[in-house]
Amino acid sequence: MSVTSLLENYSEFRHFHPVDDVPHNPYKWAMSIDLDACSGCNACSVACYAENNLPVVGREGFAHGQAMHWMRIERYWDEDGREFPDQGAQFLPMMCQQCEAAPCETVCPVGATNHTPDGINSQIYNRCIGSRYCSANCPYKVRYFNWYDYPTTDNVWPAEMNQQLNPDVTVRGKGVMEKCTFCIQRVTVAKNNAKNEGRLIHDGDVQTACQQACPTSAISFGNLVDPESKVYKQWKAQQVELDKDAQIKDKEEGGSELRGYRIFEELRPYPSVMYLERVRESAV
Amino acid sequence: MNDIREDIAWAKINKDVLKSLENPRKLFWVILLIAIAAVGVAVGCEVYQYTVGLGVANFSNPHVWGLYIATFIFWIGMSHSGTLLSAILHLMHADWRKPIYRFAEAMTTFSLMTAGLFVAVHLGRVWQIYYALPYPNGRQVWPNFQSPLLWDAMAIFTYLSSSILFLYVGMIPDLAICRDNMNPGWRRKLYTVLALGWEGTDRQWRNFRVTYLTIACFLIPLAVSVHSIVASDFAMSQQPGWHITSFPPYFVAGALYSGCAAIITLFIILRYVFKFEEYMTLPILKKIVRLTFAIAMVWTYLNLIEYAAVWYGHDQASKDVLIQKMVGPYAPFWWTMNICGSVVPFIMFFKRFQTHIPVLFAVSLLLNLGMWLERWMIVAPTFSHGYYPWTWDHDQWPSLVQWGIVFGSFGWFTLLFMVFCKVFPSVSMYEVKEMVYHRSQATKKLEATGKLAASGKGAH
Amino acid sequence: MNSGSIKQLKKPLAIRLGEQTVLAKSLVMAEHPFDRRDFLKVLGWGGAAVALSGCGNGSVEDGKETVVSYVETNDYMIPSISVYFNSTCTQCDAGCSITGRIREGRVLKLEGNPDSTINRGKTCGLGQAGVQHHYNPDRVREPLLRTGDSGEAITWEKAYALIAEKMKDVSGEEIAFLSGGVSGHLKVLLGNYLDSFRSKNHFVYEAIAPAVMRAANKKSYGVEMPRFNISKAKVVLSFGADFLGAWVSPVHFSQQYAQFRKGDEDGQRGVLVQIESKMTLTGANADRWLVVRPGTEGILALGIINALGAAGLRLSGDVAGAVKGYDKARVSKDTGVSAEQIDKIVALLKARTPSLVLAGSAAEGYAHGSQNAAAINLLNQVLGNVGKTVEAAEVVPFPQMAPTTGNTAALKKLNDGLAAGKYKVLFSYAANPVFTAPGAMKFKDNLAKAGFKVVFAHYLDETALQADLVLPLDSALEDWGTQVPEYLATCAQINIQQPLMEKLHANTDGKGTRGMGDILLTLLKQRRAEEYKGFADYYAYLRGALLKNKVALGGHKVDDDTFWNETLSKGIIKLEGHVSALSSRSGTAGLSLPSPAAIDAQYPLQLIPSVNASLRDGRHTNQPWLQESPDPLTTIVWDSWVEIHPRKAAELGIEEGDIVEVTGKNGSVKVQAYLFPGIHPDAISIPLGRGHEALGRYAKGYGVNPFQILDAVFDKETGELALHETRVKVSKTGSRVIVVKDEGPVGGRQMGKKIAARLPSDKVKLSEEI
Ligand SMILES: Nc1nc2c(c(=O)[nH]1)N[C@H]1C(S)=C(S)[C@@H](COP(=O)(O)OP(=O)(O)OC[C@H]3O[C@@H](n4cnc5c(=O)[nH]c(N)nc54)[C@H](O)[C@@H]3O)O[C@H]1N2
Ligand SMILES: Nc1nc2c(c(=O)[nH]1)N[C@H]1C(S)=C(S)[C@@H](COP(=O)(O)OP(=O)(O)OC[C@H]3O[C@@H](n4cnc5c(=O)[nH]c(N)nc54)[C@H](O)[C@@H]3O)O[C@H]1N2
Ligand code: SF4
Ligand code: SF4
Ligand code: SF4
Ligand code: SF4
Ligand code: SF4
Repeated sequence: MSVTSLLENYSEFRHFHPVDDVPHNPYKWAMSIDLDACSGCNACSVACYAENNLPVVGREGFAHGQAMHWMRIERYWDEDGREFPDQGAQFLPMMCQQCEAAPCETVCPVGATNHTPDGINSQIYNRCIGSRYCSANCPYKVRYFNWYDYPTTDNVWPAEMNQQLNPDVTVRGKGVMEKCTFCIQRVTVAKNNAKNEGRLIHDGDVQTACQQACPTSAISFGNLVDPESKVYKQWKAQQVELDKDAQIKDKEEGGSELRGYRIFEELRPYPSVMYLERVRESAV
Repeated sequence: MNDIREDIAWAKINKDVLKSLENPRKLFWVILLIAIAAVGVAVGCEVYQYTVGLGVANFSNPHVWGLYIATFIFWIGMSHSGTLLSAILHLMHADWRKPIYRFAEAMTTFSLMTAGLFVAVHLGRVWQIYYALPYPNGRQVWPNFQSPLLWDAMAIFTYLSSSILFLYVGMIPDLAICRDNMNPGWRRKLYTVLALGWEGTDRQWRNFRVTYLTIACFLIPLAVSVHSIVASDFAMSQQPGWHITSFPPYFVAGALYSGCAAIITLFIILRYVFKFEEYMTLPILKKIVRLTFAIAMVWTYLNLIEYAAVWYGHDQASKDVLIQKMVGPYAPFWWTMNICGSVVPFIMFFKRFQTHIPVLFAVSLLLNLGMWLERWMIVAPTFSHGYYPWTWDHDQWPSLVQWGIVFGSFGWFTLLFMVFCKVFPSVSMYEVKEMVYHRSQATKKLEATGKLAASGKGAH
Repeated sequence: MNSGSIKQLKKPLAIRLGEQTVLAKSLVMAEHPFDRRDFLKVLGWGGAAVALSGCGNGSVEDGKETVVSYVETNDYMIPSISVYFNSTCTQCDAGCSITGRIREGRVLKLEGNPDSTINRGKTCGLGQAGVQHHYNPDRVREPLLRTGDSGEAITWEKAYALIAEKMKDVSGEEIAFLSGGVSGHLKVLLGNYLDSFRSKNHFVYEAIAPAVMRAANKKSYGVEMPRFNISKAKVVLSFGADFLGAWVSPVHFSQQYAQFRKGDEDGQRGVLVQIESKMTLTGANADRWLVVRPGTEGILALGIINALGAAGLRLSGDVAGAVKGYDKARVSKDTGVSAEQIDKIVALLKARTPSLVLAGSAAEGYAHGSQNAAAINLLNQVLGNVGKTVEAAEVVPFPQMAPTTGNTAALKKLNDGLAAGKYKVLFSYAANPVFTAPGAMKFKDNLAKAGFKVVFAHYLDETALQADLVLPLDSALEDWGTQVPEYLATCAQINIQQPLMEKLHANTDGKGTRGMGDILLTLLKQRRAEEYKGFADYYAYLRGALLKNKVALGGHKVDDDTFWNETLSKGIIKLEGHVSALSSRSGTAGLSLPSPAAIDAQYPLQLIPSVNASLRDGRHTNQPWLQESPDPLTTIVWDSWVEIHPRKAAELGIEEGDIVEVTGKNGSVKVQAYLFPGIHPDAISIPLGRGHEALGRYAKGYGVNPFQILDAVFDKETGELALHETRVKVSKTGSRVIVVKDEGPVGGRQMGKKIAARLPSDKVKLSEEI
């Protein structure tokens, strides 16, 4: 251990940033979610439970705000005071936005939450001491803390139920923070497979669990630096740029006709999830 | 009226102070037992929380912090009392600090020791707390030097060690007095060791003065930085209600404020318990009270400019948090804190209350209630009303486990303080002697020039 | 080996999921053909699975299982490498095909099979929870025989012997077999078993099936379940069809919906108008959600036809006659939908074609439900949608395997029979009538009158608790089967259900679970030993049956083994189905809609029991993911609630969390109130599926069961239960709770922030999007 290595590692750590001169290479994982397709059905959320060993906290736990849904579906109503919601509701799947300049990362005292070179906000359970500062600083409040030791809590994973646990994903003990990982275990497998074949991941080689389940295919996931990928094309078509805190198109007079936007972009977390606005028919 | 009588015999000073080290009265034991019981409650709560998980404290996502952090800040703030009285006033040659700085320094040390516990109690995996240390390890894994929490840990640790050193060094001449006046026994042995062979030679005094002054100089920026850094935990984050530029001075002012208020409380108690009326005199009390009032006004000013900055700024989210503090579920606490912090101190504005012991005792407790609430009102409302409305969480209420540990921390502090007062002289004998000496010198000077009679002062 | 064990390798299917591509290659590539005998050598995959998983199903030390070396593992069993096998989701009867991820002998995750035209690789949340059905800790693990008030574990041999004894002297008339919807070979065996007694008493009962719509469709279109082309429609006018939630084939419709929204063909986004009294998930996604007075859906449909006629659409004589009285003023008054709104819909329907009109359960659930459905179907005909967006579906050319469609009329018949004490032996499979029968039927009391009650069960549910003999079933992920979905998407298909892992509750000591097919086969052998002696188990039967029809099933060019392995590998047999023509008769005959009922002074509110996409009729409530999956509209978890419109609530002085008593003629429930804007003020809604008194630890004691307070009102034409015809009153009990939900204290408001944003359709250019 030397101070030199500290400094070297540290400057490298600071490198993975959209504003930096070093681009993501060869991967930058990103998503786009079409709110006009999303029906709010919750399938993605359940799929995430199944894939990522999320504990069920039960009625009491939920009542205390201790639910662990990495993917939560929010339901909004119009706020114009009409007696009936005659334009339906608005659903929003919300999970970790994998911020490029993640507010959660800088504050973690032990560096348990980090930026990976391929643009994912990683969470190292082993390293986490449970200070919850990251959650305090996340603008989207998508971090979930293990308030109890769920693996040994009654009826979370009782005998047999525990056989379903995904061996590729750590089962978290008490006192650590967790959140959506962009299904990093799937990404890793796909990366290794591609590497074995001496190539890069093709678009579609890897799907996140939520994306795979989603009955309306509202979720797209892929490599934002691969011009062949769907997310690249979508972001491009929507003129949403990763390293901007305000998109040029939004400065157009009368607003843009493009649906792509990122939530709380102006706070400069540079989120990796682009949403496509829901459309409401103007004729009715 | 003078700060101290100029004709107190030095032997009397020794005798009076050493008397406080004698076997305590029954009441002492009763209070001590209560304090131990309170610590017991906290230990019980912590053991329960440790085994079952932090869920028992009733935190939620996203309301992940609560009383632990608030009380942590409170105790850190409290620690500023000693530094203020000892170091700052020492450098300013304020003689009146002399009878009271010792216990204030003890307060500093003990409140830091209490605050430190909250860091541990608050962690989800306290058993991994050492990850926050930059210890050598084969994997070259370092803590994250970007995190204010890490600065915090380092600042507190430095502050605590310096404070202990300061307290100890300042006590050496007194420990020698204790050594020389004690019958053989454990106390004598203890003081012999701790006095480090103090003989009171010129050389020793010279070295002592330099050392003490150096530590005092070192401690002042440390004290300012430690609470600025605690403020950075919030100010450096991005959350509405937290990322406020004025937080560091605001926190330091708040710290001095609560420290002063606590000094008044303990001043009154010690004066009564140890019959220290001769040393802890009303004129001194008056000076502390005035100082406290001045700091209260600084704090109030900083508080108001914070509100104004939020109100007239264009950050709607911060404004929403402020509004929610005023009218939301936290409103009773927020208003109480403002009243205790900014209105109650005006009692101290009136001369007749500046030495009115029962009133001051009540006021000092109210001030600290206000300051404790202030910390809670900094921490909690941002969680229940942050950027993301879907996760707003207005019903969050700390569980009995949180309250138990907070309650126990007061027991822990009391316990440490009481033991200290019975083992170490809580009034600095040598400095009081100095003070008496300075006083008599001054009187002599006045008498010599005949100004005393003319000024009409000193006719007592 | 025990019956039902896996005898064959099912080749993994290559889907795009990283790790298994390697494996799929090694298996599929000719140079490394898989040797089936290898597999049999290790005594079936089951033994291997146990040895590998080491999860307490018997251990190597016991000497009861076979050790398999990791050094010499077979291709399909490489530690840490997942394999993927196809099967069929049985969480509901939509018939989605699934791919199970299996590692070290355990099934871990279910994904949709991309080859299925029904679900195209997708699943719903309920489907995802299939693994929790399989691994559920509250499954029944051994046959249980009632002795007095308690159950005694017995062996299968004893259970079979007992059934044989009980069946000895009963006539076909005295047997009743209650089941949920069944299809495929199970249906064949079940039929044969009843045949062996010359019994016709097969009662097929699904508590929330679209039975009235089927009948109405049969009348209007000539088929019960046509194909609905949502994706081709430019306007969908849905009368309470929750096709994104729980209606018919939600995953399939969800995909169509996404295409419909994108306007896949011409970039013109489809418009969804949902008409109902209580907002469903589909309603929440509508461009226009119209609240109607409960039960007046048909009137509105006729009103729209009338208005279309007025707007220049040519109506045939009988149609014009049928809608004559339904002028806008009257319709608007009856339904509560403004004339202006009707005009807008008419304009929309005229401007954009083709459209599609759907009659959902909300419209069906009345005493005049058939009339409502007929009126709605008529709208489709008038708009010329029949043949365009309503098409004839392909039909599987094996009528004996076609799904039996369940309904409550059958339950009523069974209930009457039970009340009359007609049945000496009653079997119940895949139904939980003690929980789902309307309280007014007194089903539980009547059930007690049956002589000997055999319940085939996964859990000790409310019905199983009433049984004399409970026979524990394999989970869907460890059993064999074939299934024909009722709603077929683009082609006719037979779905294959195959075990994804070895049985969790092994058949040691004559205990453990068994497959329904195996049980039926055993029972049949008691009757017709000669006929069935060739089939060692249900697996053999299935294989034999499918191979016999190999040619018809598309396997004319390959040998039996190849055909079989390929079939299992694909998990779906796609067929040339035959298409029956849709009839174009307009169904005006006998169309008469009652005026909206006057408000009952004593019971002023209409109770709408709502169907949640995750919990449906409550059979899956013991799957904790589903309990903790928030209801999409209210975000409530782990409990029931009653939805009340804020205006009504204000009238009654009710606030969120108040425990209210909902009282009808047939009892009452106490439930927390949730103020919900998406409901007609004269209606309240309680979700179905919760309120179990049994079933298991995750279900028992959570919420209330609205089935219990339903009135026994039936649709006049079909005799189906009119689910929405219960009238109730609501009173405060004085206690209040904090509603456990995901939504925060500000409800669904964004507080001026841009979180879930939206644009009007004239401001977007979907055709330019990716
Ligand atoms: N029953 C049984 N006993 C065996 C063997 C066997 O096959 N079966 N094999 C023998 C052999 S060959 C070996 S090498 C030993 C291995 O014995 P161990 O070294 O004890 O091996 P593990 O149990 O694999 O890992 C130890 C722990 O390390 C934790 N861990 C994983 N990653 C990290 C990390 O990054 N940091 C830290 N701090 N912890 C981490 C794991 O969660 C686990 O709790 O066991 C020997 N004993
Ligand atoms: N997922 C996962 N993988 C791991 C590890 C892990 O923790 N997790 N641990 C890693 C570690 S630390 C190790 S050491 C390796 C161990 O990996 P392996 O060396 O593959 O370990 P074993 O499973 O013990 O396999 C040894 C084989 O030798 C056979 N054998 C036993 N006795 C004899 C003998 O006398 N002669 C011969 N010829 N054969 C014999 C056994 O039947 C068995 O088949 O696994 C590594 N792989
Ligand atoms: S969304 Fe929150 S948790 Fe995720 S990277 Fe951003 S700040 Fe961190
Ligand atoms: S909870 Fe864990 S990840 Fe989050 S800041 Fe604390 S140590 Fe870091
Ligand atoms: S990407 Fe993976 S981890 Fe994230 S929400 Fe989707 S399923 Fe969960
Ligand atoms: S699965 Fe798809 S449609 Fe359903 S809530 Fe999730 S994103 Fe929306
Ligand atoms: S709709 Fe859902 S539950 Fe039904 S078969 Fe398909 S995946 Fe399974």
